[in-house]
Amino acid sequence: MQDADRRTLKERYIVAQREQIAHADEATLQRAYEIGRRAIGDGVGVLELVAMHQEVLEEILREHEASESCVLAVGDAGRFLGESLSSVEMAHRGFQEAVTVLRRLNQMLEEEARRIAHALHDDAGQILVTVHLALQEAASGLPPRSRARLEKVRDLLDEIEKRLRRLSHELRPTVLDDLGLLPALEYLAQGVASRSGIPIVVEGPRTPRLPPAYETALYRVVQEALRNASKHALARRVNIRFSVEPGVICCLVKDDGRGFDVAAAMAPKGERGLGLIGMRERLVAVGGRLAIDSAPGRGTELRITIPWEEHDADSGPSGRRPSDRTTGFTGEWPRPPTPMWRFSTSPCRCSTVSTPRGTFCAAPRGPRRSC
Amino acid sequence: MKEETRVPIQSDHDIVTARQRGRTLAQQLGFSNSNLTVIATAISELARNILLYAKKGELTLGIIENNGRQGLSVVARDQGPGIPDINRAMDVGYSTSGSLGLGLPGVRRLMDDFEIVSRVGKGTTVTTAKWKP
Repeated sequence: MQDADRRTLKERYIVAQREQIAHADEATLQRAYEIGRRAIGDGVGVLELVAMHQEVLEEILREHEASESCVLAVGDAGRFLGESLSSVEMAHRGFQEAVTVLRRLNQMLEEEARRIAHALHDDAGQILVTVHLALQEAASGLPPRSRARLEKVRDLLDEIEKRLRRLSHELRPTVLDDLGLLPALEYLAQGVASRSGIPIVVEGPRTPRLPPAYETALYRVVQEALRNASKHALARRVNIRFSVEPGVICCLVKDDGRGFDVAAAMAPKGERGLGLIGMRERLVAVGGRLAIDSAPGRGTELRITIPWEEHDADSGPSGRRPSDRTTGFTGEWPRPPTPMWRFSTSPCRCSTVSTPRGTFCAAPRGPRRSC
Repeated sequence: MKEETRVPIQSDHDIVTARQRGRTLAQQLGFSNSNLTVIATAISELARNILLYAKKGELTLGIIENNGRQGLSVVARDQGPGIPDINRAMDVGYSTSGSLGLGLPGVRRLMDDFEIVSRVGKGTTVTTAKWKP
């Protein structure tokens, strides 16, 4: 920590501490909390905070013309406190380090997934195209019966290509990079629905692009939620409601599965909790939160929120008029956020239902083939 | 090294002596109060480690200098059984103390420099230093 920062912090601490001594109440305690919070944010350690407290307290005691023995006793007690808290300092530093490592690891995994996804999509795709051409060439000189057999092989190749593409998109959907969160979620829902047989409804407005870190975090958390819903919860239906409101991005994932005991799963030794903790950690890394509402036999609702201000993104949030902005705006401006429970009629682009038979639009006139 | 003091570690009482020497040296160097505690804690952990695994050894405390910057070095040496897998020993979660961020991983976080050399059957040397800001 810089000396100047430390001095400012100390000055604030002195003022607040004096007030606490003059008239202790909840407000002065709240200020103490805010100072401590700020200190942690600035990277001040537990011991530094104790040392600062000590200096300030001794200064105040001298002002009050406390007896020298009193000042000495307070000094000794403070040093004792510092030593007894130094193990907390070690643990505190350990956690800070672990969090940093975990975040870097997440980024690395994301990069790795992107690399593999592209290799699957591009490299494997290229080879398949070559095989297709070679088959076509081979088929040209053959009698019709043999050609029909080769046709079957080509159908199988098509199937492989389709699966590779899906796999690649699930690893790291190019649609997330290219088109944004909602199309990526719809694509994800289609894949899970076709494999698990669970209908999945995705609702939300098409927003301008969110910061990439937010999109990735939301996508991964919903991905994990869908995995849980289809694997553990034995859900019959899943609803995903995504919305961008002034100040906050919100995403609800709700299933009608068998639910679980949240406290037990999130307990330090809870085995199933690891996925949940991973989801929470992903969100915390972008300043977001995860609220889990579930109980055995009651289904599960996950509420994901990420605070979001306009300046967080390249383009503005939905619902703002171009005239609200002082900078030039050239892109297509989105309509105001559609309330999540109401579908807009035309153009049909805000809600899809993915079922094992395909993806359909869920607009009031629906269902029809997906837009 | 300009000044060096060696403290044999054979009992809990020796830990206190080592801490006292370390604190005095660190005070001479002008370390802040919170860093005095940091250094004393590192000394405690290193000495505890010696008692726990090697039963006896020694701590060497010294003032060091690098490019005009002063620091305090704390070196722990023992001829104990050694550590077969240092990476695991430094891994959080390997030992009970490690999982709380204490022990050797804790010392690494408290000190600026940290180096550990160990040979099975020969002993372990942990070299650490704290530099003045």
